[in-house]
Amino acid sequence: MNEGRKMQLKVLKKTSQELKFEVEGEGHTFWNLLESVLLEDDKVEFASYNVPHPLISNIIVSIRTKEGKKPEEALQEAVDKALQRGEELNEAFIRALEELNK
Amino acid sequence: MDLRILEKNENSMRFVVTGISTPLANTLRRIILAEVPCMAIDDVIMIENSSVLHDEILALRLGLIPLKTDLDGYNLPEECTCNSELGCNLCRVVLTLDVEAVDETRTVYSEDLVSEDPNIVPVSSKIPIVKLAPGQKVRLEAYAKLGRGVAHAKWQPVSACAYRYVPTVEIDKDVCDNCGDCVDVCPVGVLEKTEDGVKVVNEFECTLCEDCVDACKKNPAAIKVSGNREAFVFYIESTGALPVERIITEALEIYKSKFKEFANQIAVIRNGSEKTD
Repeated sequence: MNEGRKMQLKVLKKTSQELKFEVEGEGHTFWNLLESVLLEDDKVEFASYNVPHPLISNIIVSIRTKEGKKPEEALQEAVDKALQRGEELNEAFIRALEELNK
Repeated sequence: MDLRILEKNENSMRFVVTGISTPLANTLRRIILAEVPCMAIDDVIMIENSSVLHDEILALRLGLIPLKTDLDGYNLPEECTCNSELGCNLCRVVLTLDVEAVDETRTVYSEDLVSEDPNIVPVSSKIPIVKLAPGQKVRLEAYAKLGRGVAHAKWQPVSACAYRYVPTVEIDKDVCDNCGDCVDVCPVGVLEKTEDGVKVVNEFECTLCEDCVDACKKNPAAIKVSGNREAFVFYIESTGALPVERIITEALEIYKSKFKEFANQIAVIRNGSEKTD
């Protein structure tokens, strides 16, 4: 896997309710989490990533949304949610460290 | 989200996080294992090696010695501006080894490596590298570089990084006949037999092996163990390359940059026109 390499994205299919793209540079570490966050959204009907070959890091991501939300909007929201949780975790960790050093 | 540190030693840490999902816990674990950089010897130039170990084996053994890492002072070779194969003083540290066994058999230890940077040294001085018979000699130059575990395990900053669910052990007092079978079978001593029935005394240590459930003669069993899927006990053990807390903050930093980078890519999708395949 080429994890840690610069991200490269190619859109394969794009309509108002459906999005499919091929992306390089990240693997299960990133996509498994983002997939699970996407699926928390009620407006997301389907979200999945596929690793066509374990030694090649071209990952195919498919998202289908319900009416009223575009897939890219769902993606943006999921990314924001994930970032916020990372930030929360970071703060919680720093707080716990400070408490320990008291 | 709540995080509590249970135990912190020089090189290890145990903490409980509640209110996170399994994918988030797993992402954190995978980043720590594969993407937090640390230093390891990568290129070795052999000047003389008359020891019994071949050059390649010696180079491998050197690579596996954990080195104390200074993440702020050095660049990752692929991000360094020098673009040179052996690196510049911003992306590599040269360690030299020059040992000869004169009259007696002598073991070469990690402490014999002389580093050009006093901050980048082996974490332990007594890691054996090779044994030399009288007259044998090893002279070499080793280039240590930053790298990531995804490329080679020598660049893993941790020797262990794992999580498990926070366990819950429940005993149905109405069904339990206090036979004590579950108490004897528990490998970590979670249960204790008392006059008032079997008591849970050490719930946290439960590994969810369910041996106690199998041992219970009642059907259904009077004891129930389960894991809390939103609370995790993390155990992280550093090789000594980086302090444990630095590994975690660094991992969360990498986490952030991953999502930030992808956020930029969403703009690419937005600006593209509709297409079907």
